[in-house]
Amino acid sequence: MADQLLPDRLDEVIDALVARGDASAALRDPELAALARVAADLRHYPNRGFTTRLRTQLERRSTMTTATLSPGVREGFTTVTPYVWVPDRGLADFLIRTFDAVETRVDDNPGHGIHRELRIGSSMLMIGETGRPDVPARPQAFHVFVDDADATFAKALTAGAMSIGEPEDRHYGERAGFVIDPYGNHWYIATALGPQSLGHALRTVTSYLHAHDVDDYMKFLTRAFGAVEETRAEQPGGVIPYARMRIGDAKVEFGTHPPMPGSYFMYAADPDAVYEQAIAAGAKPLSAPTDQPSGIRIGFVEDPVGNHWYIARPRST
Amino acid sequence: MDVTTDDERLLIEAAQADPARFLELYDRNVDRVYAYVSRRAGSRAVAEDVTSAVFEQALANLNKFEWRGVPFVSWLFRIAANALADHWKRAGRDSHELPADRPDEREYQDLERRVSLFQLVDRLPDVQRQVIQMRFVEDRSIREVAAALDRSEGAVKQLQLRAIDTLRREFEERPAGRSGRPGLHG
Repeated sequence: MADQLLPDRLDEVIDALVARGDASAALRDPELAALARVAADLRHYPNRGFTTRLRTQLERRSTMTTATLSPGVREGFTTVTPYVWVPDRGLADFLIRTFDAVETRVDDNPGHGIHRELRIGSSMLMIGETGRPDVPARPQAFHVFVDDADATFAKALTAGAMSIGEPEDRHYGERAGFVIDPYGNHWYIATALGPQSLGHALRTVTSYLHAHDVDDYMKFLTRAFGAVEETRAEQPGGVIPYARMRIGDAKVEFGTHPPMPGSYFMYAADPDAVYEQAIAAGAKPLSAPTDQPSGIRIGFVEDPVGNHWYIARPRST
Repeated sequence: MDVTTDDERLLIEAAQADPARFLELYDRNVDRVYAYVSRRAGSRAVAEDVTSAVFEQALANLNKFEWRGVPFVSWLFRIAANALADHWKRAGRDSHELPADRPDEREYQDLERRVSLFQLVDRLPDVQRQVIQMRFVEDRSIREVAAALDRSEGAVKQLQLRAIDTLRREFEERPAGRSGRPGLHG
């Protein structure tokens, strides 16, 4: 009889182990004790899907050309900086009012608009102001961590944003509210709720890229820019509601949504090599790298979901 | 210098010359690093994030590794300890169950024991390994596992018992402290 019951008794022990990490009850049962000790160790058995995926990433990374992305080239910047095109300075004002952004640079290029740089917390944003209302904006999506999501959400509405989701505690460890600014950019305003929150792995602002087929797009970014997958959630049928990659020392997030084609500025030690690599990976060439009067060397490509990537080597210092 | 130590040194030098060879170092050490991190991480998601960071940093900094007779895994543990400390700092936690430092001899042995167990799991019959994966890695209930495998709950409980009892017996028959992998005590 005891033998017949053993599978049930062991299963109860495993339930307790998985739920509470506690198998102490089993230690009083001589028939179960040795099995429970093995079961306790099995809680640490690595997910072979994870170890295989990590191996594949390392393999890609180890065979990447040395066309390499160049971190830390400008103080405060990472390898990738979002570049938002708008007609006027209204976006900068919105960011200052909502996120206490600090304007760090303005270049007025007569006939070519204004280039503006702002710092939000630990992150940088670039804005291109065309001065032409007839040129369509290229809105993007951002995940931004703040101390008080409710307060910042309210400030965003006051500054002219529209709510697309009131602040509430989200199942992924954040209190978050969602807005669209007057130029169409999405802002996912979040406060970390616990030690496991993504907020501890990210800077203040992280670009959130939308794609219909996130897995396919991530593969492109790996081939084009050596992006390394950090994490992904996957639903039945292969839908990826969330994923994160690292490009150089910058992080970007992904979700399965209709694309919002935006623009991203990428620093590279060898922009020509990265440009060629991106085209080989399937990007559309827009402009081959050339030296600019400002001292930078820059080329442009369009990726398969319509995002533009400005691949640049900064002026030598 | 014993054969395994010599072998590891040659492999590191090969990987420093050709990064593609790094994968052999990964294969040898991923379970150990994961076992070390998993004991301290508090969640599977954090353990995987930190383990990924360890090997990415190791690959990026492999040319800085200098052979001084210390096993390669000790260097990985040091990277892991720093990565964990960074994680706890970002998470705002001052204390946790185990400090993020390098393991002592007793923990080394414990880690080796776990690595041996993981290897035994990999060699279980497919259906038993699937049960272990779903129950312990994916936290699925017996009912969910039964549905996924199209078997009765009773049959899945029997498979679960058989798998764990096989692991227990094979484990007890192995010489103590041996994982079949070189280099840990080198």
